[in-house]
Amino acid sequence: MSMRSQIYEWDSADYGAAVALPAPGRSVSIFVGGFGNNITKPAETTATEFVVVEDIAITPSASSGATAAASEYRGLLAGTTTIGLAGPRAYVQVRINTTDYFLDPDNVPNDGIPGAGSPYPRSVNFQPSFNLYPDVYVLPGQVWDVLTVYYSATGCGDGAGNSDSGDYRAFVKYTLYDGPDALIANKLLEMGISINPGNVDWYKRSLLSA
Amino acid sequence: MAPTGQLSSLRRTTTDICVALPALREIDLFIGGYGNNITKPAETTATQFVVIEDISCSPWLNGNVQIRINTTDYFQNPDVTNMYGIPGMASPYPRGAASTLAGTTDQLLKSFDLYPDVYVLPGQTWQILYTTRDGATAGAGTAQVVSAFVKYTLYDGPDALIANKLLELGVTINPNNVDWYKRSLIEQQVAAASAGASA
Repeated sequence: MSMRSQIYEWDSADYGAAVALPAPGRSVSIFVGGFGNNITKPAETTATEFVVVEDIAITPSASSGATAAASEYRGLLAGTTTIGLAGPRAYVQVRINTTDYFLDPDNVPNDGIPGAGSPYPRSVNFQPSFNLYPDVYVLPGQVWDVLTVYYSATGCGDGAGNSDSGDYRAFVKYTLYDGPDALIANKLLEMGISINPGNVDWYKRSLLSA
Repeated sequence: MAPTGQLSSLRRTTTDICVALPALREIDLFIGGYGNNITKPAETTATQFVVIEDISCSPWLNGNVQIRINTTDYFQNPDVTNMYGIPGMASPYPRGAASTLAGTTDQLLKSFDLYPDVYVLPGQTWQILYTTRDGATAGAGTAQVVSAFVKYTLYDGPDALIANKLLELGVTINPNNVDWYKRSLIEQQVAAASAGASA
């Protein structure tokens, strides 16, 4: 099992009910941010690991045109009528060590991918406009994080700063290469070849046939 | 689902009803004691090789599905602690299911694809574990049925040997590559025979 497909799902209410949300506009780590389900330490790769982040997604938002606050639009809570938006207006960003992956054209880090562009969960109503390609590589020894932020407090949870399970979620899909496969991943990186299970297998075959 | 008065059964019946599931307990689909079960744990013999290609479960009630090979869980948190596996929200069964039992809000699509596949080598025991964080209730008017799904390919006999060989070679194990390996063996034999005849 030296190549493993992995996921991490974050729920702001830790799969419970009526939990206070982080303040709107505040960026929160899904791993160790102190809100929702967390893990015991920051996500990092050891010297013999290589992580390829293949997808990130977060609760979507949509223009609603709702005429009353707190009404529902496609399963999302409509914010105040002046906002004209249902859902949390949430974004998700990848951070490697201290560097944010998604930048504005002026090279200033931005909030990341909007939930409207990469929704979680995907549904017939909310499908992705964004595909994380090329993938994001986390090299051996690096710390990585996935950061979330939302801006519409009246469209998130109960609209008053609290959320139940499922109101505000994020998702990350990654592949963990370990041991010899991590070495091959490094070799592919040097060669400028995309790191995916198919190319790792190809490299092994080429070693055997040489 | 199971017959009235039972939590599980080996055969489906026309009178099965919903059974309650405890929250936060990993339930083996095969011998977990809930719903339709089989007679013994899923395992491969010395001449079998299993490739698990897809897993999914009901998205409601915060359902998750995990693969366990012998005693090792396949999906782990980034800090290498245990987790419940793939959420039904990310890999819904059936595809197009709603995220709640009310069924009114959405029709989910998959966010997760099990790639690379998971290999169960000869002699290993494997489990598919379903966990609901919320628990499921039973009874008239409160029945909450959940389901889970696993898609796998069983290679047996010579094909299992070839699957092992492909694994050694680092080649992905799928029916096409098994056929490719067979063809390459035949081509080698033909080439050796013609070389022997011409010598």
